[in-house]
Amino acid sequence: MKFSVEKIVHGGCRLGLLHEVGKLQSVTVETPLCLLHTKAGSAPNLSMDTLGYIQNLPPIALMPLNLLAEHHETLEEYKKGIADFTAMKDFLICCSLQDPCTAVPSGYNDKTSVALWGRAGKMKVDPELFVKIQEAFQPDWFQCLGDSDTNKDSSKKRSKKAVDNTLNFLDEILKRRKSSEILQQSSVFGSIEGGFNQFERERSAKETAARGVDGFAIEGFQSDGQEFRQFHEKEFTDILGLTLKHLPEDKPRMMLGVWRPDSVLQAVSAGIDIFDSSYAYSVSEKGRALVFDFDYHKKHWESITDDDGSENSKNATTTGRGFSVDLKDSRYKDDFSPVLKGCGCYTCKTYTRAYLNHLLTTSELQSGVLLMVHNLHHYFGFFEAIRQSLREDKFQQLQQLIDGHSRSPSADR
Amino acid sequence: HSALSLKVLAECPVTKARACEMILPHATVNTPVFMPVGTQGSMKGLVPDQLRDLDCRLILGNTYHLGHRPGPELLEKAGGLHSFMQWDRALLTDSGGFQMVSLLDLAEITEEGVKFKSPHDGSMMLLTPEHSIGIQNAIGADIIMQLDDVVSSTVTGPRVEEAMHRTIRWLDRCLAVHKRPHDQNIFPIVQGGLDEDLRRQCARELVKRDVPGFAIGGLSGGEEKQHFWRMVTVSTDELPNNKPRYLMGVGFAVDLVVCVALGCDMFDCVFPTRTARFGCALVSTGQINLKNKTFAKDFQPIDKDCPCSTCQTYTRAYLHTVVTFETVACTLLTVHNIAYQLRLMRSMHESIIAGQFPEFVQTFFKDMFPKKNYPDWAVDALSSVNITLL
Ligand SMILES: [Zn+2]
Ligand SMILES: [Zn+2]
Repeated sequence: MKFSVEKIVHGGCRLGLLHEVGKLQSVTVETPLCLLHTKAGSAPNLSMDTLGYIQNLPPIALMPLNLLAEHHETLEEYKKGIADFTAMKDFLICCSLQDPCTAVPSGYNDKTSVALWGRAGKMKVDPELFVKIQEAFQPDWFQCLGDSDTNKDSSKKRSKKAVDNTLNFLDEILKRRKSSEILQQSSVFGSIEGGFNQFERERSAKETAARGVDGFAIEGFQSDGQEFRQFHEKEFTDILGLTLKHLPEDKPRMMLGVWRPDSVLQAVSAGIDIFDSSYAYSVSEKGRALVFDFDYHKKHWESITDDDGSENSKNATTTGRGFSVDLKDSRYKDDFSPVLKGCGCYTCKTYTRAYLNHLLTTSELQSGVLLMVHNLHHYFGFFEAIRQSLREDKFQQLQQLIDGHSRSPSADR
Repeated sequence: HSALSLKVLAECPVTKARACEMILPHATVNTPVFMPVGTQGSMKGLVPDQLRDLDCRLILGNTYHLGHRPGPELLEKAGGLHSFMQWDRALLTDSGGFQMVSLLDLAEITEEGVKFKSPHDGSMMLLTPEHSIGIQNAIGADIIMQLDDVVSSTVTGPRVEEAMHRTIRWLDRCLAVHKRPHDQNIFPIVQGGLDEDLRRQCARELVKRDVPGFAIGGLSGGEEKQHFWRMVTVSTDELPNNKPRYLMGVGFAVDLVVCVALGCDMFDCVFPTRTARFGCALVSTGQINLKNKTFAKDFQPIDKDCPCSTCQTYTRAYLHTVVTFETVACTLLTVHNIAYQLRLMRSMHESIIAGQFPEFVQTFFKDMFPKKNYPDWAVDALSSVNITLL
C-alpha cells in the first residue's frame, strides 16, 4: 500500500491518495475516506442486489474480525479468501479487529491474547492464531491485534499494559508475517493504544511508527459501540493531537467508529484519513434518515427545506434541524414527499416518507433496506463533499454548514 | 366488461390441469401461478425491483393488516397500494375475514359480519361484507375477495352448512357495494367444509353470479389430506372452464403439483417466505435448513440450477454463517424460495403446453421422494386424474 498526502489544508486536514492497495493495484482512492462497514461480510440489511442500488460506494469494505473469526476453519478450507467467500470480490477488504458499532465487553484481554466476541461467544486470539486467521481470510489490509480495552477511566497501569501488550502482539505478528507467503500482499496497520494517558499514547505512536507498518489504527478511546462525540473534550483533542504528531506524514491514519458528521470534520481537522460507515447503520437502526446539508456551494438560505418538507423563508438557516429525522414519527404518516428532497438515491427516487413510516411502524424488514440505501448514499456523499471542499479550499464553508446542524436542539437525536 | 380475461392456452389431455394466460389490469399472468404474500404492503425485505427480476407478476396483500395500517383513508390518498408500495404489477387482496378468525381469539360471526375485539385498543369492531369491499376498493388490488363465513376445516355439523349459505348471502352484499368492477375483479369463495354435497351446492350457487373468477376456501387448515384433495377436485368439477380457480392458502410444492393436476390455477401461501426467516431453503428434494452444521463447509449454491441472485452469488457455507443472525440472510433466502415457487409453477405451465404434464408430475415426485415413499393421499389424488407414480 502506498499513501501520499496531496495537500494539507486549514491547519491539519489531509487530502491524500491511497494506491497500490492489495489485489486492485490499479485503484487509487482519495482520502478522507469512508470504508463500507459490513457485519459478517454483508453491509447490514443489504444483499449484493440492493447494495448495487447505491451509486457512490467506496471500493473498500471494512470487515470486523470479531464477527467472522469463528469461521476461520471454513475459510481455510475455502482457500479463496474472505472477499470471495462473502461475494464482495469487487471490493478491497480491510479487516479490522472489532466491529465499530458493537460494544466490546471489558476485562477479557491479557498478555497473550485479545478476546473477540462473535456469534458463538468469546474467542481468545493470540498472534499465532491471528496470523493463521489472516492467512485464511487474505484481506488486502488488516489491523493488528491490539488491546483497546481502555477508556477515560483507565488507570495509568492499565494504559501502559495496553500499549505493552499491543507492541508485543505487533512484533510477533510482523515476525510471523515475514515467513508467510500469502500475507505479503496484505498491508498491516498497527494499533495505537494507551487510553487517555498522554505519555503512553506518545510511546505507542513512536514505537509503532518505528516498526515500519503501512498505516495506523487509532484505538482505545472508546469501545462501547456508541456514537463517537469526544471532540468537545479538550483532554481528548489534546491527546489525539500529540499522538498524531509522532506518526509519519506519509502513512494513513484510520479511526473507526460511529462518527457523527461534526465529529468527522473535527477528526479530519486533526489529521485522520480513514473512517467507516457504521454511523449510517446506527442511524438506520433507529428508524432515522440522514437529512443534513453538506452542499457548501449553495447559499444556506436558497433551498433549505424544513423537517416537514415545507420550503423555508429566505432567512432560514439549517440550524433548525439536526442531522437526521425520525421517520417513525406520526407526522410523516401522510407525507408523500421523498425522504430527502433532491436526493438522488434509489430510496428517495422511488419511495415516500409515508411508505417508510408505514414500513417502520409495522417493523417490516424492507425499512432497514431502504434506510440503509439512503443513509449510506448520504454519508458517502458527505465524504465526497469533504474531499471536494479540501480540493477547493472550502473546508470552512462545509464546517459552518455542519456546525449549523450540530447546534440544533435536535442534533442529539 | 370484466377487468379480467382468461385465455386457456392448453389443457392436459390426461389430468384436469390447464395452462392459461390471465390478463389483469396491471399484468398478464401465466397460470398455474403462485402468489407470494406481502402481508403489510412489503415482501419481507425484498424491494419490488427484486420481485420483477424474478419475473413475479402477481402478489398478495392482507386486507386485515392493511386496513389497520396504513388504513384505507391513507391508501386512498396515496393512490392505492400499487402506488404506495411502488408495485406496478398485479395485486390480490383477501377479505380480511380469515385473518380475523385465525388471528383473533374473540371473533364472533353473526349475519351482520365478523365481530372482533381490536387487538390494538380492545374496542369491539365489526367487519361487514360492505366494509371489507370498501377497504379493498381503497387498496385497489386487481383481484379482491368476497367476505366469506370461515369455519375451521375440522368443524363438522350444521355450522358448516350455515356458513356455506351465509357465504352466498354475503357474496350478494359484496357484489352490491363493489364500486370498481371496471378495474377490480371480485372472486366469490366456494365453502362447504369437508362435505361434498355442500361444496357442490355452494359452487353451483356461486356460478349463477356474473363473476370473473372463483376461489376455493376453507381448506388447508389442518384437515386430513384425503379430505382436502377430494374437496378440491369436487370444487373444480363444478367451476366453469373459462374462469380462473384460486385455491386459497396452499403452497407446499407437493400440494401445488397435485392441485394443479386437479384443475386449480392460482395459489398463495406464507410458507416459502416464512420458512426463509428460520433459515430454510426450498429444493427439489424438499427443504434444507442452512443453520445445520452440515452446511458450514458446503461451498455449493443452495441449488446449482437455480437462476436466482442468491444462488448465483452465495454459497451454502456463507449463508450458514449469517442465517438467523443477520437480517440480510432472511432476504437472501426469501429471494431463493420465491424463485423456487415461481420456477415450479413455470415448469408446470410449460409442461402442460408441451403436453408433458403427467411426465412432469412423475419426475417431480421421484425427485421429492427418492425412496418412493409417496404419501397415500397424493397417490390417490393423482390416480383420480389418471396419473400413476413411477
Ligand atoms: Zn435518498
Ligand atoms: Zn436460488
